[in-house]
Amino acid sequence: MHHMLHIKNGIVVDPKNGINAEKMDIFVKEGKIVEESEVDVKEAKVIDASNKLVVAGGFDMHAHIAGSKINTGREMRPEEMRTVRLIAGKFRASIGRVLLTSPAIGYEYAKMGYTTAFEAAQPPVGALHTHEELDAIPMIDKAALPVFGNWHFVLKYVAEKEWEKLRAFLAWALERTKGFGVKVVNPGGVEAWMYGGNCKSLDDEVPGFNVTPREIITGLIQETENLGLCHSVHLHCNNLGTPGNYQTTIETMKLASKFSNDKRQVLHVTHVQFNAYAGSSWRDVASGAAEIAKYVNSVDNITIDMGQPIFGHATAMTGDAPFQFTLHKLTGSRWSNKDSEIEGGAGIVPIAYLPKNPVHALQWAIGLELGLLIDSDRVVLSTDYPNGGPFTEYPYVMAMLMSKKMREKELERVSPYVQKATGLAAIDNEKTLYEIIQMTRSLPARVMGMDNKGHLGIGADADIAIYNLDPLSIDTANDFEAVYKAFKTSAYTIKGGEIIAKDGELVKEIWGRTFWVDATSNASIEAIDSDLNEMFEKYYSLQRQNYGVEEAWLRKPERLVMG
Amino acid sequence: MLKLKPKIDFEVSVEAEITPQLATLSSDEISNFQVYYGKEKTKLGDLFEISKEGDDAKLVLDGDFSMVKWVGARMDDGEIVVKGDIGDHLGAYMTGGKIVVEGNALDWVGAEMKGGEIVVEGNARNYVGCAYWGDMTGMSGGKITIRGNVSNYIGEKMGGGEIEIFGNAGDFIGTEMKDGTITIHGSCGFVGGDMKGGVIKVKGSFEVVPGFKKVEDGFEGDVNVGGKGKITQF
Amino acid sequence: MPETKEEELTNVICTFCGSVCDDVLFDVEKYKGKKFCKLGSAKFSKKERIKAPMIDGKEVSYEEAIEKAVEILLNAKRPLLYGWASTVNEAIRLGVILTEKVGGVYDQCASVCHAPGTLALIEEGVPGGSLGEVKNRADVVIFWGSNPMEAHPRHPVRYSVRAKGLLIKDRKDRKVVVVDVRKTKSANMADLFIQIKPGYDYPIISALRALVKGEEDAVPDEVGGVSKQQLKELAELMKNAKYGALLYGLGVTQSRGRDRNVENAIKLIQLLNRHTRWIIWPMRGHYNVVGAGDVPAWEVGYTYAIDFSRGYPRFSPGEFAANEVLQRGDCDAALIIASDPVAHFPKASVAHLKKIPVIQIDPFPNMTTLISKVVIPSAMAGLEAEGTAYRMDGIPFRVKKIIDTEYWSDEKILELMLEKVNEKLGLR
Ligand code: SF4
Ligand SMILES: [Zn+2]
Repeated sequence: MHHMLHIKNGIVVDPKNGINAEKMDIFVKEGKIVEESEVDVKEAKVIDASNKLVVAGGFDMHAHIAGSKINTGREMRPEEMRTVRLIAGKFRASIGRVLLTSPAIGYEYAKMGYTTAFEAAQPPVGALHTHEELDAIPMIDKAALPVFGNWHFVLKYVAEKEWEKLRAFLAWALERTKGFGVKVVNPGGVEAWMYGGNCKSLDDEVPGFNVTPREIITGLIQETENLGLCHSVHLHCNNLGTPGNYQTTIETMKLASKFSNDKRQVLHVTHVQFNAYAGSSWRDVASGAAEIAKYVNSVDNITIDMGQPIFGHATAMTGDAPFQFTLHKLTGSRWSNKDSEIEGGAGIVPIAYLPKNPVHALQWAIGLELGLLIDSDRVVLSTDYPNGGPFTEYPYVMAMLMSKKMREKELERVSPYVQKATGLAAIDNEKTLYEIIQMTRSLPARVMGMDNKGHLGIGADADIAIYNLDPLSIDTANDFEAVYKAFKTSAYTIKGGEIIAKDGELVKEIWGRTFWVDATSNASIEAIDSDLNEMFEKYYSLQRQNYGVEEAWLRKPERLVMG
Repeated sequence: MLKLKPKIDFEVSVEAEITPQLATLSSDEISNFQVYYGKEKTKLGDLFEISKEGDDAKLVLDGDFSMVKWVGARMDDGEIVVKGDIGDHLGAYMTGGKIVVEGNALDWVGAEMKGGEIVVEGNARNYVGCAYWGDMTGMSGGKITIRGNVSNYIGEKMGGGEIEIFGNAGDFIGTEMKDGTITIHGSCGFVGGDMKGGVIKVKGSFEVVPGFKKVEDGFEGDVNVGGKGKITQF
Repeated sequence: MPETKEEELTNVICTFCGSVCDDVLFDVEKYKGKKFCKLGSAKFSKKERIKAPMIDGKEVSYEEAIEKAVEILLNAKRPLLYGWASTVNEAIRLGVILTEKVGGVYDQCASVCHAPGTLALIEEGVPGGSLGEVKNRADVVIFWGSNPMEAHPRHPVRYSVRAKGLLIKDRKDRKVVVVDVRKTKSANMADLFIQIKPGYDYPIISALRALVKGEEDAVPDEVGGVSKQQLKELAELMKNAKYGALLYGLGVTQSRGRDRNVENAIKLIQLLNRHTRWIIWPMRGHYNVVGAGDVPAWEVGYTYAIDFSRGYPRFSPGEFAANEVLQRGDCDAALIIASDPVAHFPKASVAHLKKIPVIQIDPFPNMTTLISKVVIPSAMAGLEAEGTAYRMDGIPFRVKKIIDTEYWSDEKILELMLEKVNEKLGLR
């Protein structure tokens, strides 16, 4: 069946193609955006988008939506699962407050006009589990980033400066995990955690390996670039969640300075809000966002995402196991931990961000500062779901970034501590709709190296969101409630050329693709063959032959071959 | 006053979130009140004989209601009298009013209740006045009286209010309790683990878990959580 | 006949216990396994099979049996769908969706073994680690109420006792402790055996917590049959470990205290992590009992005892666990897959099962077959059918199909059932 669509008279915002609120028609055929001439206009289904905003489908490049972490989160928090969103019928039952079931994740993204979401931390040995959960999420396209920064192969090859082997290992691991790119979480620090420690600075030595976080990060950037991956190193910095850590973050960013790439950043630093604290303790903690923003704006090889906290419930879940333990000690809340073969670990701790709590309000303000102070082609909108809270509140963040008036109103209900510890109140900047679309569509697609996503040019995937918002007449600075409401539920969400949601109701259940990156032809896997055999034999509890995921096991895999 | 009587022996359980407020509605509204019979959504009037006398907020449940769950849940006022046995979740989350059960109750009597009173003349089972899975605080106000025996998990995570058991109880009385009083006239098993505050009084025999220090009139603990709960014998 | 050489045998993954040994071999010609323990060998050997699908003991086609099963499930007011721990995730997923569609109750074998651990997870989380980390790092391993020598025979060799790894180069580098109510086979291989009074796990753990915390005064001279001195030594041993692992079993979860025992042990581990590194993990029984909980968790939010009568999932172990449902007479039909409740459930539960129409899906005949109205034989996962299974520590494996069979896989059976249900409900 050919799905042809004619989206008529919409007001298009498409930053990648430089289109800013122009009235134009969009044509869709066989899941792609095409020229008008390609479509038999009489046959095509017409969508009247008059006075409506037409943009590419949203792209969540960093969320924890699949795998053992979110699933353990669900298992330990039945109180999260009591919110009923949809009763079983034509669609699956859909439940969850902030932590959602897999069907609910797909449904909620679709209703909001998001069509792609990437799982940001896949424990390599658990790759099959992550993929099973991705395969259980309907409606959207997806991918997963395996975690490398504490994997013994990486530590060993960096220590030995075996760069070719490191390159081969990255390619091998991406293929085996059907992963998308190189995620790094607290490099070295999680290995130190196996001895009860952490790596808080770039020069702390990793126990048992003659290597430091500085060397691990540099080595991984180098070999990710040499391998020609479409996505850069994606880094959760050392020293997360500690007052004063903004300096570690900037120091880390500087490690990228000797690398460059024409197409994209060479380092993506994730959920920077958690790594942007000044001060020396929780008593005098303050914002380091301005300094970080200054640095990020001054270079063109780094991108970040916000990690914006949303007031209300959240669940901290990261591969940063020592941080999770610290959080457990700080809050006294439930704590799950998972040390994982020789690959790293993870932890989970429930939290709630309270507006009157000085630290929580500070975190909230820092996230916004980063979003406001950093150029819109360098900062992606994220909540680091579910660490900062629900992705369903992205519209809140969008509206806040566009309206000083809304921020002033919100500032009234939060702890006054933010007034003295952050610069939020003094920021006049209001992002434009164009910039917001950049931060949620074109930029994340560029960061991930997905040429066919995040825009509406000819040849792009026909992932389209239409909102009840007229860019030509809306006053985003004053009508923030209308902005919020419009972005909460799309008028239409179109995925691969099919209408999947309309006016906040699901229309059709579809199954998106899972992208994975094959870079094996850019490296010599043989170089590490005997090492693999040896390490599996000695240190793994499973056989090398039973490690990894085959494409045939996935619902709709799409292999991206790195040239 | 509204009187309900089962029309049939229930094959599977019935979920009927009925409160005394129901008695103030019209006969039609009462009869059409939605309940679940297994997976079937059905009307109160299809499962129960309904007789209404006047408009006062009082429910009388006549017959075997042991398969009927959630009676009196979230009620805030009025009275419920159960002439026989009753099912799970009796008076869960209730904030006011009174429930009297002449027979036995099952699990979750007065779970997370905040106010009002529940009296069970017979026995109850597990989780009396407890917190539901994943919640931080159990019963926080009101009073639960059980004249017979109860099983395990009584007043766990209790944040206030009173539980009085006239018979015996099982294990885990007042675990993680924060405030309020539990009185047991009979004997019971493990008492007070991870207790932070509140008072537990037992007349018969009981087992204090390690973590409590002997003080003048009983035990204080649990030291494992820096608690100042009190366990005494009377 | 000369022995077949190892390299000529096919690598398979054992689908019996939660150890999910992935280094075992199978000789297709001789239909015989190699390297398995006794339990695994027994499963991977020729056994009596259910010959064909049956309705009321009469042989029928798969399609007819499935048609009948669907009719039973749809006509029931509250069907119970139970078992799942010995099949693969792909089948479990379909089973969960099927239960959702027919408005039934999903429950799995954990509810009679390790579910208390799940409840403890809800209370406190679980500080854990994979078996590879036990093998690599654990210099102290405590088996508490668990008996690997008999229940998970290759676990000690592969992961936890004689296994060598990164930091543990020799059996002497590791101290193995067994805590149990009787001297088990596993106690014989331990460096230290502590015998406790049945039903006193909880107070003993409380005492250890107090001792680790330095609150000696709050511990009486003897707790649960163990002297304070011995408890102090154990507390010291735990504090002095570099990386400890507490691996608990049914002795903890199925004796007095149940979920509270596990919760208390988790609190002890939380505390110990303030001094050194410790993890705690359950010795899960069936090979995919973890999947039987994980799959419903991502599909519908909970791991077991899930009711769908309202069209959305609800969790309540005291109401919706299979034995609760059966003993209250609160189901009017049942589908039993890869399990034998008639052999293992209490009498009162079995009595109700006998009163209602039962559908069975299983490769092998068992006691439940005898009372089932509809019997649907299936292929054995790991030999005749492939699919995903989670080892006791959650590590996923794809178990293999190396033998062709006429039997349908659980996945195929459930797929058709779901299709028929959707058809009847007008959803396709
Ligand atoms: S230990 Fe368990 S998994 Fe390993 S061979 Fe024996 S039965 Fe199979
Ligand atoms: Zn993240």
